[in-house]
Amino acid sequence: MGLTASELARKTALHALNRLGFGPRPADIETVLERGIEDYVNDQLEPRPDGALEARLTPLNNTLRLSTTQVLTTYADSGNQTSSIQAYLDNFHTAKLIRSVHTTNQLDEVLADFWFNHFNVNINDGLVRYSIQSYERDAIRPNAMGKFETLLRATAEHPAMLFYLDNYLSTAARTVNGRLVQGLNENYGRELLELHTVGVDAGYTQADVYDVSRAFTGWGIDNVGRGGNFRYLQTAHDTASKSAFGLQLAAGGQKDDGERVIKYLANHPWTARFISTKLARRFVSDTPPLSIIDRMAETWIASEGDIKAVLRTMIGSSEFWAEAFSPAGKPKTPFEYVASSIRAVGGEVTASRSVVAYLSQMGQPLYQCIPPTGYSDSGAEWLNPSSQIYRMNFALDLAQGLVNGVSVNVRNFALGADLTSPASVAKAANGAVFGSTIGQATLDAATRVDTRITNPSSAVRVSALLLASPESQVR
Amino acid sequence: MNMPFDPSRRIFLRGASASAAAVGIGFGPSALMSRTAQAATGPKVFVQIFIRGGVDTLNMVVPYGESAYYDIRGAIAVPRPGQAGGALRLDDTFGLHPLLGDLMPLWNDGRLAIVDAVGNNDLTRSHFDAQDFMETGTPGNKNTPTGWLDRAIKMIPGQNVSEAVAFQAQLPRSFMGPEPVLVASNLTTFNLKVGTNWRTEAETALRGMYGAREDAVGKVGRETFEAIDTIVRSPVLSVAPGNGAVYPNATIGTSLRQAAAIIKAGIGTRTIFVSVGGAFDTHSGQIAAHQTELPRIGSALAAFSRDLGGLMDDVVVMLVSEFGRTAFVNGSAGTDHGSAKAVFVMGGSVRGGRVLGRWPGLANSQLYQTRDLATTTDFRDVYAEVARKHLGLTDMGTLFPGYTPGVGVGLLA
Repeated sequence: MGLTASELARKTALHALNRLGFGPRPADIETVLERGIEDYVNDQLEPRPDGALEARLTPLNNTLRLSTTQVLTTYADSGNQTSSIQAYLDNFHTAKLIRSVHTTNQLDEVLADFWFNHFNVNINDGLVRYSIQSYERDAIRPNAMGKFETLLRATAEHPAMLFYLDNYLSTAARTVNGRLVQGLNENYGRELLELHTVGVDAGYTQADVYDVSRAFTGWGIDNVGRGGNFRYLQTAHDTASKSAFGLQLAAGGQKDDGERVIKYLANHPWTARFISTKLARRFVSDTPPLSIIDRMAETWIASEGDIKAVLRTMIGSSEFWAEAFSPAGKPKTPFEYVASSIRAVGGEVTASRSVVAYLSQMGQPLYQCIPPTGYSDSGAEWLNPSSQIYRMNFALDLAQGLVNGVSVNVRNFALGADLTSPASVAKAANGAVFGSTIGQATLDAATRVDTRITNPSSAVRVSALLLASPESQVR
Repeated sequence: MNMPFDPSRRIFLRGASASAAAVGIGFGPSALMSRTAQAATGPKVFVQIFIRGGVDTLNMVVPYGESAYYDIRGAIAVPRPGQAGGALRLDDTFGLHPLLGDLMPLWNDGRLAIVDAVGNNDLTRSHFDAQDFMETGTPGNKNTPTGWLDRAIKMIPGQNVSEAVAFQAQLPRSFMGPEPVLVASNLTTFNLKVGTNWRTEAETALRGMYGAREDAVGKVGRETFEAIDTIVRSPVLSVAPGNGAVYPNATIGTSLRQAAAIIKAGIGTRTIFVSVGGAFDTHSGQIAAHQTELPRIGSALAAFSRDLGGLMDDVVVMLVSEFGRTAFVNGSAGTDHGSAKAVFVMGGSVRGGRVLGRWPGLANSQLYQTRDLATTTDFRDVYAEVARKHLGLTDMGTLFPGYTPGVGVGLLA
């Protein structure tokens, strides 16, 4: 490739920052190089308390720590609503943005995003609004690098998921005067197979969907509008025998029917493959090589679904690092674009409404994905004019300090540059946050700005154009 | 559109020199007149509305004439015509859900047809596979790289970005492929947002950056600026709906309002894709969900037809969803993922006012896997009929690889 050792190292460091996190802040490439790539990766795999992050979240703690019952009591109509729910929702969104932009545990945050999206729930769907904070905080985050089985079970038992995929309504069939009044709802059972574990190509049948659904009858919610906690209702459980995609459950089972299905599916070879593929699509490439998926799936089986072990295999693969030199790069999703752009300019986040509105325009409204698939991990699927126009507009607004709740200073973007010189600004930013990957055409176009215009300054305009550039759309 | 079907009116409109005002339809701005005068001889436009989530068409097109329907639908069944909250009679077997009442004038006018029991034989009850299969036009094959509308637009001469327009925030699978597509969720904000004192500078710089690249990122950037050019050059896009049409304040309404505007603007648009999400995946609480969603569908389609007036002669609108839902009500006053569904088609030369396709029945022995409405018409036969007779395409082998569409169900004259 004709790269010097130093260029090679910078590119590798940039790759780690782009793929294991939401991209570099201005001095991050140097920080990673000083620490050493291997140590940096190990740090990312062993998250540590982040006091600076906690300090940023402190102003939001009045709502961030509420239980679902407390949220319902305070904000739901049925709980004698005492406050507008907007503050709770704003804080919830702002916390995600602050974490993504500011945490030093970047990989942990990317994984929280990945797993939330994998086990998607929609904030606009009834009870989910009140339980989504607990869902992300209590079911997703603590298990993001743990055992997949634990994560899967935490989602299966969480009221947000029980409500979103209707399992709280699913009971053994019961008829009154020959008319069905209660019975099976196969929404969760189907998506558990199709989306959460073995995947749609695993070869399960409608009969499997039916029996998997029956295994979870009685998994419900205690007092839907007020309590919002998990409850297993024995009388609602279908105790007849079941055959769930190869797992035989004898008659007479209770809650253990569902638990056994979870254990079985979490360690199924199809699950190992399906989720390894999905992880590789998020971290490695839109079209990940089969060789890396094979190795990840092997680790999955050997480690009984240890997510951290699977990640170590992925990051330890040559295919992962080879992507640092792929000319195309991986297009960023809207959220990745927004978070990485704020990081690139050294932005400080205190509020999120403005950013959330931009994400909606780009087609990825935060926590509002309606179908249970979650948003696509494939970058190419986000490349279209509708998203692109708002990406460029976001970049232009961001550099000018026009995005509410995000403060920026162009000095941080163009570290050490002569701010009166467009070429100096572009050179500094290119080195600090793009690892010198910006092409000549982009540099030429961005540095041709009119220095006689003072508001916004040429440094701000060059920064805006670089953030809106083609190179900035990929990671 | 409340008047009964009047063949003379349609014939009159087909006369190319007809002045819109003369037939009392009341087209407003003169900017529309040139396009209006082309009605029926102008380019044909196909609008596909995709309802995501698997809408329960058994409760939209209610087979009230089958007693089995009332046996298996229980509390969510729509009552027979004439009863309180009853279906609106379409024929001796079918009635429309009363919340779709806005569609009745179109039905009575012979402008709306329904094809029932449409599906495909590579059965999947996965939302995502079923949507993909309908959008690629290749059920069972997940490796088809292009969407069926991309292949269709490729057969139509021209490379203009506004030939294919999608109203959704992501490129729909239907348009995936090499042909340029204008993807826009909102035409009114589709422009660079930058201060006037450096607007030209910013636009020139960004055009330069994206124009210099041949890759996917460059392509989308170039399409974005082409789209800006097209939209900015077409002030008619912001004109109010015609003929007093009122669109519902919902995705389907705002998208169809913009679709009508883009058709009236006459900027060479041939295919429009409208993606509609909402409370359609009704595993529970179906009645409440339909109370919200069905009136939106009915009023949006009616407003679109009213807005376009005589131009509807050049337009065919097809509303589909990925699958129908279980024939039986489930345990939560909802329905689970099923198979065949009804497809709504309006406009153009649609032979409306009839439910087409062979009705398979709802008796246990007639259901697919004793749970779903069975498929009697492959969806590709419906697509192909529109492609052939409306868009004038002939190469069905390219449009639907591995499938030879039949003559169709007699949807279009």
